[in-house]
Amino acid sequence: MNANTKTAAVLIALTSLFLALATAFNRDLWGRPAPLPSIPLVDPAFTNPAPVRVSAAELKRTGGDTSELECNLCHELNKPANLKLDDKGNVILPKEHADLVMHHGRNDRNNSCFNCHNPQNREELLTKDGHKLKIEESTRLCASCHGPTYRDWELGVHGRISGYWNRALGPFTRLDCVSCHHPHSPIFAPLPPAPGPHPLHPVVVHSVTQQASP
Amino acid sequence: MNDSPSSTGRSDAWSDASPEQGMNRRSFLRATAALASGLAAIAALSPLRELESFSSVEEFLQKHYKEMTPEEMAKVLERIEREVERQYGLRPHVRDYKPMNGVEYVYCLNLTRCIGCRKCVHACVAENNQSRNPEIQYIRVLKMPNGTFDTEKADHNYAPELVPGKGFYYMPVQCHQCKNPPCVKVCPVKATWQEADGITVIDYNWCIGCRYCEAACPYWARRFNFTKPSIPKDKINPDMSYLGNRPRQQGVMEKCHFCIQRTRVGRYPACVEVCPTGSRKFGNILDPNSEVSDILQNKRVFILKEEVGTLPRFFYYFDI
Repeated sequence: MNANTKTAAVLIALTSLFLALATAFNRDLWGRPAPLPSIPLVDPAFTNPAPVRVSAAELKRTGGDTSELECNLCHELNKPANLKLDDKGNVILPKEHADLVMHHGRNDRNNSCFNCHNPQNREELLTKDGHKLKIEESTRLCASCHGPTYRDWELGVHGRISGYWNRALGPFTRLDCVSCHHPHSPIFAPLPPAPGPHPLHPVVVHSVTQQASP
Repeated sequence: MNDSPSSTGRSDAWSDASPEQGMNRRSFLRATAALASGLAAIAALSPLRELESFSSVEEFLQKHYKEMTPEEMAKVLERIEREVERQYGLRPHVRDYKPMNGVEYVYCLNLTRCIGCRKCVHACVAENNQSRNPEIQYIRVLKMPNGTFDTEKADHNYAPELVPGKGFYYMPVQCHQCKNPPCVKVCPVKATWQEADGITVIDYNWCIGCRYCEAACPYWARRFNFTKPSIPKDKINPDMSYLGNRPRQQGVMEKCHFCIQRTRVGRYPACVEVCPTGSRKFGNILDPNSEVSDILQNKRVFILKEEVGTLPRFFYYFDI
């Protein structure tokens, strides 16, 4: 092989090598990251702004089923109450109301029905200073004990306000107490959490301090 | 060396060749280098494969937001509406909302009430047309053990059956729209700036994607579009703003902008509207009757990373 052919051969070899490299880089033949798993669309429950409970007022406003609020179907008006209390002052629920969960107040300090309900007319609420309230006006009853919370609620600091922050430009909505707090068991119930972050690289969890009690 | 008719005294690759000697080394190396650099140039131009994301000459020649006249802005908005319609099949309305007078926004977050449900995260994603695959989330909820504010101890990826967990509190973090923003200082092209009402905004068409702002932010509020954002067509929110929730392109930064398309018309941001416990409070600090004024005056308020001096507009507080 003379020098000319040798040169040509080397040139051709190098050309094909560079061409191959160029193609490889062009098509990302290596160094390509592993494809990420497809992220499922989030459950629409997690973007739903509806409050966690439907209050009596809301039920009546939307024409829902209010049969659970018709106490006088069973209870006679003005009949004296026959409440059985245990030694801590908590009510012992009669079997007709066994489905209620009574857990009002820390250390169960407020589990007596007639702290809120009018014994003469179960469909009414009665404050300690004698105001009779309809079921859908329960906010005033809550306020009669929970003053600071009610003050914050009026200002918009407690509980959610939606609508317009600029009150001059549009309406705003404030929820009443029982839209979030069940009156018999007012502690806000735990919710399932929505999906967390989906990082581009697999997460290495270093947490050693996350010792939570269940 | 032989003489050739084209010889002018300077060496010439082909004229130096002779059938007996072949090419000399210089000419050989020159030819190889020329070939290799040609091929390298071709390979280097391979990003042009993504030319489909280069939308138009007008976008390339667009001026900075602050320099545009209202007529130019109107043309830009119309172009964006057309592009979104072409890409997603529905015509949005894209507006350029200006700040209101006498308004400075402040955000307050009640750590006693936050249960860590992350509904705010997803309401934000739905409202602001963020990429779903990969999913960009402006809000990061940190699960912190009781008794510490050390964010190094936070768990970002908690996924129990129910929240809140005993012994923890939950601290959502998003852009704090700082009064002294480090991200604005480091931007080399001034694609991000703070507006009169306090919101730090990004002009997505001006951002070059260098990610200096992401490095500068002490709260890790900034998100980068590493890939082309993908939004399902039926999830597009057509109510868009130029500086806010219009769909972004690959290679630009984005972040929480206090739902600029809602707040500048007087509405609450999406995260405030969805929070089930009412932990999030938003309003105008210059209004003495707003709930945020009351919170800043009466509650035990603190800010994150006070020592770095960013002066955030995002205040955390405890209620009980």
